[in-house]
Amino acid sequence: MSDEQTKTKTMKSVLIIGIQGALAKITAELLIKKNHHIKIHGVDSREIENVPNRSQLTYQQMKYTRTNFEKMFREHQFDTIFHLGRLGHSPVLGNINKRIDINLVGTNTILELAQKFQCKKVVILSTHHVYGAHADNSMFLKEDAPLRGSFKYAELRDVVEMDQMCTNWMWKNQNQIETVVLRPCNIIGPQIKNSITQFLKTSYAPLPLDYNPMFQFVHEFDMANIIVESAEKLKTGIYNVAGDDVITLHEAAKIINVKKLKVPIVIVEQLAKILTPIWKFPHYLIDYLKYPSTLDNSELKKNLGEDIFRFTAKEALELLKSH
Amino acid sequence: MFKKFEAIERELQNRYGKNRDPWGLEPKRAVADLKVIWPLYQYYFNVQVHGKEHVKNKPYMVVSNHTGQVPIDAMLICTAFATEIENPRILRPLIERFLTSLPFLGRWSSEGGAVLGDRLNCLNLLKRGESVLVFPEGVKGIAKNTKDHYKLQRFTRGFLRMAIASEAEILPIAVIGAEEFFPYVVHLKKLAKFFKIPALPLSANLIPLPSPIDIYIGEPYSLPKGLSPEALDEELEPHLILIEQKIQQLTEYGLKNRRTILQRLKQ
Repeated sequence: MSDEQTKTKTMKSVLIIGIQGALAKITAELLIKKNHHIKIHGVDSREIENVPNRSQLTYQQMKYTRTNFEKMFREHQFDTIFHLGRLGHSPVLGNINKRIDINLVGTNTILELAQKFQCKKVVILSTHHVYGAHADNSMFLKEDAPLRGSFKYAELRDVVEMDQMCTNWMWKNQNQIETVVLRPCNIIGPQIKNSITQFLKTSYAPLPLDYNPMFQFVHEFDMANIIVESAEKLKTGIYNVAGDDVITLHEAAKIINVKKLKVPIVIVEQLAKILTPIWKFPHYLIDYLKYPSTLDNSELKKNLGEDIFRFTAKEALELLKSH
Repeated sequence: MFKKFEAIERELQNRYGKNRDPWGLEPKRAVADLKVIWPLYQYYFNVQVHGKEHVKNKPYMVVSNHTGQVPIDAMLICTAFATEIENPRILRPLIERFLTSLPFLGRWSSEGGAVLGDRLNCLNLLKRGESVLVFPEGVKGIAKNTKDHYKLQRFTRGFLRMAIASEAEILPIAVIGAEEFFPYVVHLKKLAKFFKIPALPLSANLIPLPSPIDIYIGEPYSLPKGLSPEALDEELEPHLILIEQKIQQLTEYGLKNRRTILQRLKQ
């Protein structure tokens, strides 16, 4: 039995928060593939559908209340938690109160209960949006770069606060629980439906003519694999997740081969405001179309190896095109 | 001219490949820009480069005086390193964040090789074997009133710390002739502050005059191996003074042998 399989087998009862998300489903499949005896329980506040039919996987839709979570923790005695349930920021995706409730209050409850019920490992999926896209960003932001995501856009406030809350909690409880906070670059793939994937795949979505920032992309399979590996191999800490190759926004759009409307950024900004009801494009993403927010991946590669990424950014984009 | 650029294009392509680098440099675009700049470089500014033999095939931190109100001096130094040096390279000028935030200009400058002036960027570039161009006088250097032309401003120390950390040699440069682009200038400092821009020069002429440019490349300066990038300012001071002196000497030599606009017109 390989060392990797042995480690996966130490995970017996796993909680996945946000199981309705495509990434969570792929992660669950990977965990089962590595250990057939694992028990996974997935939860989501959204309606759950299209979950893989596996005997090792149970799921429930529930409100993220303390009572509900406590009941679940008591029943399942989880040893590992994957918190992949951050709510997105598209203007059409719920109001700010709902987001704060899920992203902050829900996360706080989960962390408290993880400690109370003596979980061994918690993996939290944050985002590179916590760093923000700024004209004065270094090209490869390290994990200790300041979190300036919400400087300009209040709609990113809960994302930054959630990340900070998790990392504070992580260091405070590092002697009891191993916690890993992952800050991935743009996750793309045929099953992922995040804002940047939607933007790239939308025909005639406006593309800024006067800016062409660098982007990093990680394929959904690589991301799910890193989430699983992080539970097995990463020590307590924050890790950026991004491949080695960097690509410009215009190159990415060209690879996906969807026709875009090339206009100056001022027009993109106005269109984003006017078309909010039909165009699911968060306003804060405008800055990501102007300035870079690229990540240094040395910490991740030092711990998971140089060959952790199966797909380059270009390959990931190519795969998006074929679907 | 076409043959010259074919050879340069080949050499640059061997060096950089066809793809963009992480900072946005697009080699093909950079060469296309060079073709546009070349007639200005050669015929309008009549640039002459002295001390080419000091540039070897390795990464340098190129340190220059900053003159001329608008960063044409940076453009001319970059053109010199891409077209006149034995091992042509696209110098990576470290620029103000004000420039990177501007529409079109930010994109154009990064595709041509410019990079946001930031320590991490500088270190990563030097580690990758790139040569960077810095102006340690900063905006103070470029935005001078007529009476202060060619007066070298005090250097900031950041570039020294980065040179120590990356073990790159420092290549001193003096550009002569650029202050004559705009001979009569007044700086509206308060208005610049109001508009939140680095400088607002008011000049008698809007288009730079065809002042002949001389670029003097000095001998490389190596920092001692034992020096730490976190050394105290006092420990760095002697090296800073030496580099300033080297550039001052090159400037004085250049001023003595200066070619003037009038001489060019007579010719």
